[in-house]
Amino acid sequence: MGLWESFLNWLRSLFFKQEMELSLIGLQNAGKTSLVNVIATGGYSEDMIPTVGFNMRKVTKGNVTIKLWDLGGQPRFRSMWERYCRAVSAIVYVVDAADFDNLSVSRSELHDLLSKPSLSGIPLLVLGNKIDKQGALSKEDFMEEMGLKSITDREVCCYMISCKNSTNIDTVIDWLIKHSKSKN
Amino acid sequence: MAQPLVKKDDDRDDEAEYSPFLGIEKGAVLQEARVFNDPQLDPRRCSQVITKLLYLLNQGDSFTKVEATEVFFSVTKLFQSKDLGLRRMVYLIIKELSPSADEVIIVTSSLMKDMNSKTDMYRANAIRVLCRITDGTLLTQIERYLKQAIVDKNPVVASAALVSGIHLLQTNPEIVKRWSNEVQEAVQSRAALVQFHALALLQQIRQNDRLAVSKLVTSLTRGTVRSPLAQCLLIRYTSQVIRESNTQTGDRPFYDFLESCLRHKAEMVIFEAARAITELSGVTSRELTPAITVLQLFLSSSKPVLRFAAVRTLNKVAMTHPMAVTNCNIDMESLISDQNRSIATLAITTLLKTGNESSVDRLMKQITNFMSDIADEFKIVVVEAIRSLCLKFPLKYRSLMNFLSNILREEGGFEYKKAIVDSIVILIRDIPEAKESGLLHLCEFIEDCEFTYLSTQILHFLGIEGPMTTDPSKYIRYIYNRVHLENATVRAAAVSTLAKFGAMVDALKPRIFVLLRRCIFDSDDEVRDRATLYLNTLGGDGEVVETDKDVKIFLFGDLDIPLVNLETSLKNYEPSEESFDIDSVPKEVKSQPLVEKKAPGKKPAGLGAPPAGPPSTVDAYERLLSSIPEFSNFGKLFKSSSPVELTEAETEYAVNVVKHIFDRHVVFQYNCINTIPEQLLENVSVIVDASEAEDFAEVTSKPVRSLPYDTPGQTFVAFEKPDGITAVGKFSNMLRFIVKEVDPSTGEAEEDGVEDEYQLEDLEVVAADYMMKVGVSNFRNAWESMGEDFERVDEYGLGPRESLAEAVSAVINLLGMQPCEGTEAVAANSRSHTCLLSGVFLGNVRVLVRLQFGIEGSRDVAMKLAVRSEDEAVGDAIHEIVSCS
Repeated sequence: MGLWESFLNWLRSLFFKQEMELSLIGLQNAGKTSLVNVIATGGYSEDMIPTVGFNMRKVTKGNVTIKLWDLGGQPRFRSMWERYCRAVSAIVYVVDAADFDNLSVSRSELHDLLSKPSLSGIPLLVLGNKIDKQGALSKEDFMEEMGLKSITDREVCCYMISCKNSTNIDTVIDWLIKHSKSKN
Repeated sequence: MAQPLVKKDDDRDDEAEYSPFLGIEKGAVLQEARVFNDPQLDPRRCSQVITKLLYLLNQGDSFTKVEATEVFFSVTKLFQSKDLGLRRMVYLIIKELSPSADEVIIVTSSLMKDMNSKTDMYRANAIRVLCRITDGTLLTQIERYLKQAIVDKNPVVASAALVSGIHLLQTNPEIVKRWSNEVQEAVQSRAALVQFHALALLQQIRQNDRLAVSKLVTSLTRGTVRSPLAQCLLIRYTSQVIRESNTQTGDRPFYDFLESCLRHKAEMVIFEAARAITELSGVTSRELTPAITVLQLFLSSSKPVLRFAAVRTLNKVAMTHPMAVTNCNIDMESLISDQNRSIATLAITTLLKTGNESSVDRLMKQITNFMSDIADEFKIVVVEAIRSLCLKFPLKYRSLMNFLSNILREEGGFEYKKAIVDSIVILIRDIPEAKESGLLHLCEFIEDCEFTYLSTQILHFLGIEGPMTTDPSKYIRYIYNRVHLENATVRAAAVSTLAKFGAMVDALKPRIFVLLRRCIFDSDDEVRDRATLYLNTLGGDGEVVETDKDVKIFLFGDLDIPLVNLETSLKNYEPSEESFDIDSVPKEVKSQPLVEKKAPGKKPAGLGAPPAGPPSTVDAYERLLSSIPEFSNFGKLFKSSSPVELTEAETEYAVNVVKHIFDRHVVFQYNCINTIPEQLLENVSVIVDASEAEDFAEVTSKPVRSLPYDTPGQTFVAFEKPDGITAVGKFSNMLRFIVKEVDPSTGEAEEDGVEDEYQLEDLEVVAADYMMKVGVSNFRNAWESMGEDFERVDEYGLGPRESLAEAVSAVINLLGMQPCEGTEAVAANSRSHTCLLSGVFLGNVRVLVRLQFGIEGSRDVAMKLAVRSEDEAVGDAIHEIVSCS
C-alpha cells in the first residue's frame, strides 16, 4: 500500500468511521482468544490459558472499529453466550476442525443458540480452525458435519482458517468489514 | 418501592434538597440501567445510573435475583469503556451485586486482565472485586497474581491484596496460608497501611499456632513498626501472647515493650499500650503506675474521645485496683461537669469506686443532680457502682439506700429497674441494718410496678425475708393489695408469699387464713389452686396448729431436680393406678454447654463421639439398658457418664465408652463405629482386663453381631462391685472382632472372615463416677437444714500448685460435684477462696461440701474440707476420695 493510499484511507476513516460489535463463541479450546489476538496484533502464542468469563477487545481495521466479545467456551459459560450475542452485528462461531469427538457437541450448541428468538436474523460466520493440523476436515465435510445447510433464516458463511499460520485471516477480516454498519 | 419515602414525616422535606437521590424509584432506575447496553456509551451518564443503583442498595432496597442478574450482565458491557471513573463505579457495583446475582464469575477474565494492568487503580480495585466473586478452583488460577500483588510497589495494590487475603482466609485457608513469605515481606513495608494489613493477615494465618504468634511478636517488638495502627495491633497480639505464656515467676515477658509504647508519638498507640497494661492478668501496682500516669494526662486532653477512652479504662481499673486510680481523683472530679454525659457518668462511677467514706455524701449529691440527664444504660452503671460502694462502706447504707429508693420511683426501663431492685436485695442480704428499710422500699415499689417479673421476684423475696423481721404484719397489706390489683401471675405469687408468712408466723396464721380463703374465689385457676393447696397444707380449717417441718420444707425447700428433667418425666408419665413418683426423676444436671463446646472441635474429624451413641440423655440410656434382659435385675440406673473416647480421632475404628453406675453393678457401654468402607465387622466385643481393678468382677458381656461401615453399634460389659464402697480401678480394653472384606461396588461381604484385635485406650472408674451433679439454689439454706449431725471436717495440704484456680478446679473434678452460686470461679490474684459444692452420692444420699482454699507465697495450697450429708459413711467416703489422691 502506497503512502498516498494509506493517507487516503486515514482521511476516509475520519469521515466514514464505521463501528461493529461481534461476539466470538465456540467450545473451549477452539481458538477464540487466539483468533482475537491474530486479528488484533497478528501474533500467535501456543500456550493460552482458558478464558474465565469473557474478554473485551476493541480492534480498528481501516475505518472500522470492531468491538469483540470473546467469551469462554467451558460448559459453565455456555448459558451466558446468548446475553452477549443480542444486537451484535454478527456472531462468529469458532470450531476446532481437527477435533472430531466434539464436533457433534459443537453443532448442537450452535443450533441451540440460533434457535433463541432474540438472535434471529443476526448473520453467522462459522470458522473451522486449526486446518494446519493433520486430518483436519475439508470445508465440505465440515459444513456437512455442522449442519450449516439447514440454517436458512439468516446469512451464513463458513471459512476454514488457521490462526497458527494466519491462513484465511484476511478473508475473515474482509467479511467482517463488509458487515459493519455505518456509524453516521 | 417509593412507599416508605412518601410516608416520611413532613420535616424530612427540608432534607430533600440535600440528597439528589431522595425519592428515586427502583423500577425507574432499572429502566435507566438500559443505557449500559447502548452501542455508544456515555460514561458520565452510566456512572450516574450506577450511583443511583448503589444508593438504592445502600438504602436497604433489595433486588430480586432476576433483577440483580440482569443489571449485572448489562454492567459487564461497560468493560468496553476505558473511562477511569466509570470503571471504578463498575467495580463497586459488581461488588455490591455479587452476592445476589447469578454467574458473577463471568467477569473473572476481565478482572484478571485489569489486575495486571498498568493502571494502579485498576489493579487494586480489580483484586478486591475478584476475591469477592472467586471460588476455590478459580483462586488457584489467580493465586500467583495475588502473591505478586502483595509485594507490589504500590501500597494501594498491596493493601488490596492483603485485605483480600484476610477475606479469603475464611473460605480458603489452605491457599492463603501459602502466601506467608510474601505477607512477611509486606510486614516490612514502608507504607503504613500495607504494614497494618500485612500484620493483621500474618497473625490470622498463624493464629492457631501459639508458638508462631509468639515468634512473630518477639521479632516485631524488637524491630520498628512504623504504622501506628500496626503498632496497636502488635500491642494486642503481644498481650495475647502474655496471656497465654502463663509464666508466673520473674519478670513478665514483653512488659518493657508495652511500657516503651507509652512513650510513642501517636496517642492511639499510647492508649492501646496503657489499656493492655491495665488488662494484664495479675498486674502489680508497680506495673500499673506508668500506664495510669499517661491515662491521667489524657483526662485533661481537649479531645473528648481521649477523655472518654481514659476515663473508661480507669473505670475498669478501679474495679480491681482502686488504690492505683486515686491519683487521678482530682482530674476526674473536674470531669463530673464535662459536657459529654458519658464521660461524666464514667468519671463519677470511678470516683465512687476509689473514693473514701468521707466523700460519699458529696458525690451522691452530685450524682442526684445529673441522674435525669443520662441514658438508662449509664444509670445502670451508676447503680452498680453504688451497690459496690455500699458493700464497701456499710455505715453509709442509709444515704445510699435512700438514693436507690428515690431513683426507683423515677421513670425507667426494665433493665434499669431490675438493676436497682437487685442492688436493694443484695444490700438487704448483706447489711442486716438495712433490711427493714429496704423491704419497705421494695413494698412501696410493688404498689406501682409495671413489670410482672420484678413484682413476682420481690414477692418471693418478701416471703423469705419478711417473716423474720420484727413486725411481719406490716408487709401483709402490701402483699394482699397485689391480690386485688394485679394480673394473675402476680396474684399467684402474692398468694404463695402470704402462705409463707402464715407458715412462719403463728400469730398471723388466723388472719392469713381469712385472706387465703378470699383468694379461693379468684378468677384465675392457678391463684385458686394455690390458695386451696396452701390452706390445706397449713391446716386452714380453723384451728391453729404448729406448722410441722414437712410443710416448711414444702414451702421453703428447694426443688432439687432440674426442671427440664421434671418436665420430661411428667410428659412421659401415663395416668395409671400408680401415682407419679418425684424420686424417679433423674437428678443429673446435664452439662449441655460443655458437650456443645466439644462437638464442633470434633466434627471436622468426621467421627466425633456424638453420633456414636444414642442421644446422651439419662432417659435414653435408661430405656436402652432396661431393654437388655441381662441387665434388668441391676436395679435403677444411678448415673451415666458422658462418653469417653478410647481411640484417637481418624483411626480405623472409633470407640467411646459410657460408664453406667448401678447400686452394685457397673456397665460399660462401648459405642463403636467402623470407618472402613471395605470392611464388615462381626461378633464385635471388648475384652476387658480388670486386673488393676480388684473390686470388680466381670458378670456378663454382650457383643454386637455385625458392624457394617459407618453404622454405630454398641457392645456392653457388666461388672459386679461390692455395695457401699466406692470401688475404683483401671481397665484395659481390647476390641476383638471378625473382619470380612466387602466389595465396595456391590456392598457384599465375603464368606470368610479373619479374627482380629485392636488395642483401645485404658478406662478408669473414679470416685466422681459415683457422684451426681445436683445443684442447690440457696446453698446456705441447704447447708443449715442439713444440720451438723454428720459433719466431717479436715484439712489437707495440696502441695505446690500452678494457681489457686487450678487447685479449685482440680478438686471439683476429683469430686465430680456441682459448684453452687458461681463459687467455682476464682477471682484473679486472690489468696483464698471458698467453693461450695453439692451433689448426690450413690444410694441417693445428698452431699454438700464447703471447700476453703488458701495459697501461700510458695504456691503451696492448703484446703479445709467440710462435708455435710445425710449419711455418715458418705461423708467419710468423700474425705477418703480426697485423702487418697
